[in-house]
Amino acid sequence: MFESFIEGIGLALRWDTMIYISGGLFLGMFVGALPGFTTLMAMAILLPISFFLDPLLGIPFLIGVYKGGIYGGSIPAILISMPGTGAAVATTFDGPSLTKKGQGRKALEMALFSSVSGDLSSDIITIALIGPIAAVALLLGPPELAAILLLALIVISATSSGVFVKGLLMLVVGLFFGMIGQDPIGALSRFSMGIPQIEAGIPLLPMLIGVFALPEIFTNIEKKASSLIKAEDLKVSGARLTWTEFKSCIRTIARSTVIGTSIGMIPGVGQVVAAFMGYAAAKSASTHPETFGEGELEGVAAAEAANNAVNGPTLVPLLTLGIPGDNLTVILVGAFIAQGMRPGPQLMEEQGSLVFAILVAMALANILFLGIGYLCIPFFARVVTIRKSFLLPLTLVFAFAGSWVFRAQPFDLAVLVFFGAFGYIAKKLHFDVTPMAMGFILGPTLEYSFGQSITLSNGELFGYMLFERPITAVILTLTPIVTFLMWRRSNRLRKQFGTEG
Amino acid sequence: MDRSFRTQFNFNTISAFIFIVLGIFLYVIIPSQIDKPLIQLAVGQFNLSPELFPQIIAICMVVLGFWFLYKSFSIDQVNELKNLDKEAITNVIVTLVMMAIYVPLMVNLGFVVGSAIMILSMSTYFGNRNYIFGALISIFLPMLVFVTFRRVLLVELPPFPIDIYPLTNWSLI
Repeated sequence: MFESFIEGIGLALRWDTMIYISGGLFLGMFVGALPGFTTLMAMAILLPISFFLDPLLGIPFLIGVYKGGIYGGSIPAILISMPGTGAAVATTFDGPSLTKKGQGRKALEMALFSSVSGDLSSDIITIALIGPIAAVALLLGPPELAAILLLALIVISATSSGVFVKGLLMLVVGLFFGMIGQDPIGALSRFSMGIPQIEAGIPLLPMLIGVFALPEIFTNIEKKASSLIKAEDLKVSGARLTWTEFKSCIRTIARSTVIGTSIGMIPGVGQVVAAFMGYAAAKSASTHPETFGEGELEGVAAAEAANNAVNGPTLVPLLTLGIPGDNLTVILVGAFIAQGMRPGPQLMEEQGSLVFAILVAMALANILFLGIGYLCIPFFARVVTIRKSFLLPLTLVFAFAGSWVFRAQPFDLAVLVFFGAFGYIAKKLHFDVTPMAMGFILGPTLEYSFGQSITLSNGELFGYMLFERPITAVILTLTPIVTFLMWRRSNRLRKQFGTEG
Repeated sequence: MDRSFRTQFNFNTISAFIFIVLGIFLYVIIPSQIDKPLIQLAVGQFNLSPELFPQIIAICMVVLGFWFLYKSFSIDQVNELKNLDKEAITNVIVTLVMMAIYVPLMVNLGFVVGSAIMILSMSTYFGNRNYIFGALISIFLPMLVFVTFRRVLLVELPPFPIDIYPLTNWSLI
């Protein structure tokens, strides 16, 4: 594994990789700074770009969008109390007050430095952990993999926003969509309803863009109002952040990094909860908690370090077990699959150096993150003034172009619109589409592992699992317990912090 | 109808019924929607039948549908689809219509022309009144996307001027 890591460093140090990461960071920050335009939508729309690039360009590009998007949301949150993304809601507690005091520049710089610190530290932890976890994952056979996939899918449904049973139903719907096409064992045609275009299955790319990007566009067009923000409200003014001020927040940043890293490894929790927990922990540990909410730099640092520290660790379950922890990593799975790299235990064994190269590029991206963020703060601050009347049709054009290039079939555009409408209706009726997308992606692997387990057991599945595969039996026994605990925990966090998902 | 029942019977209850019906429908169509293997390899070996997993999924859908039906009477959620105002419904429908028109435009007139028409009409509908700026953006940005996809990503978007696409793709629309 160590040799793969060393090889990975060599592979990652490419100037074109750095250029694509920079492009991803820039686009991510741009979209993140637009209220109503989420990082998820940016990743879904830009996913097709990664399909046609070298894996060491396409995947780091998307990771750049991911990182940049999470940070970009803090800019309007600080300046005009309008979070660009959900992850920046906790930043609105102190950011706008600092702007009112004439310390907007300080707050933006603190958000940037703490985001980069949190992100970089969590990336290093991710690189250190992924090798040993992958080594353990390699010992797992088909029955264990099937049991882990089942556990992960149920846990993700339990922790998705809304009611548990609705999450489970969406998971089942996703598993059904995943069955359309061919069965993974005998390659027999299933549920294609006589439509030749879905004989090989529902196309992944239009489906992902449809469920994740189009509902956001539909939500944005509900009101015609264009930008109501005045350009003068968005001036980045005041003194710069000093070293002493940053130093005084290092302990807070470290605490938030630990919180964000731990949350990132748990499927289905995400940046929003991490930011709130980081903020709450900083406030309770402070000697002057009364200043939190009144314009406290430490408050900005706590929230921003925590939400960015989630980014790296979400890749641990993805790369070692093939389980995406949230909707953003579902999109990354799409990118990996398009590159012929199916995330899971075998990936680290077969293409370990490439995986480490992607992770090293992810860590190096933080240096670019710092540079681009620092230089472009005034530009991103003004992004909010761009009219929605242009942004929305442009986003649609990108969604259609992205869906077209995959197979150059008009049918795929119909798939895009179908899943867009489906996602929008689901959103309005409080059904989370994340379990559906996970079921769609992981369903064939689950069925394949389940089929292999049946063959291995010679028809005696129960006895085989109990006596020959005790780990599988333990995982399956623990599934309801873990699900209940995760469901209770996510409900408590949601009630405590008033967040959905 | 009893008032308390009326307040409890909600969109979730209807959704639950839909899931139950869908699950039963799936279970029923499984034999006709899954091909049969022409030859049986590895006779005597236990294999996963291509019908088993879909049957499990259909049964899960029905069982979860009943659980959801039971829970639906006590779930306190607002049907946001029903609460959409007239402006929102109009905007969403107009956008869907524009998307439906955009597909044949893009396929037949090419990506740049089709997208320019779509961006200009949609931006005008959503409030842009600076038509010159609108026209410039509508032409320049699709061109930029077209060139980027073609030159950088080396993939094809429907080209302009009218190429062979109408001849090959009319039947697919």
